[in-house]
Amino acid sequence: MRLDPKLLAIGLGGGLLSGLLGVGGGIVIVPLLVLWAGYAQREAHATSLGAIIPISIAGIATYGIAGEVRWWDALALAAGSIMGARIGAGWLARIDERLLKLVFGLFLIGVAALMGVRG
Amino acid sequence: MSGPTLYLALAAFGVAVGVASGLLGVGGGTLVVPFLTLAVGLSQHSAEATSLLVILPTAIVGSLVLRRRGVGDLGVALRFGVVGAIGSVLGALLALALPGGTLRIVFAGFVGIVGLRLAWDGFRGEAPEPR
Repeated sequence: MRLDPKLLAIGLGGGLLSGLLGVGGGIVIVPLLVLWAGYAQREAHATSLGAIIPISIAGIATYGIAGEVRWWDALALAAGSIMGARIGAGWLARIDERLLKLVFGLFLIGVAALMGVRG
Repeated sequence: MSGPTLYLALAAFGVAVGVASGLLGVGGGTLVVPFLTLAVGLSQHSAEATSLLVILPTAIVGSLVLRRRGVGDLGVALRFGVVGAIGSVLGALLALALPGGTLRIVFAGFVGIVGLRLAWDGFRGEAPEPR
């Protein structure tokens, strides 16, 4: 499995932080890809989204979700989010990189505030 | 909320989560988990388990759209994600052994600073050199 050493480090470090703190991988991965690995903003978001596929499979496999999942709630949410993902990914493919950076920056500030509030 | 109203609200919130996920390349758990605990009243564990099941199909659909549009490299992303998955399992094990509160505050500060930096770069129109 060939992978750029920086990507290897970001994958391990980002995964470690996200598992440790219970935050999503993308919040850690995207800034590291942009600020350290020199990815263009759009490519960083696309790479992060793809990486979430194996990360969430591992989560499902290890989390012991069997007795805890609310299946109908998950189904209703997923029905909406699958439609939303098509719209959002379509936007990502053509959005201005500056605007993307600004929107993501504001999203991170919101997440930080939420984390701060919940401690 | 109960019955049809609840499921309509969940689906509508799901659309917003999917848009954020596809556009920003995040899973969406950051949005789904608080919604399920605060608005729907699930326990933290139940909300996290349910959100994992929502994140997976959302990330798959978003990634397929991006692949078709030629954005990013899904093969690299998946291999990168396998490494990330190993890291996250280690992190989850470590979390059981460490006090979480302080760490979360420090990390929140870090995320806030990174957010300010990116928002400022975007606002001023400066982008780091693409690879």
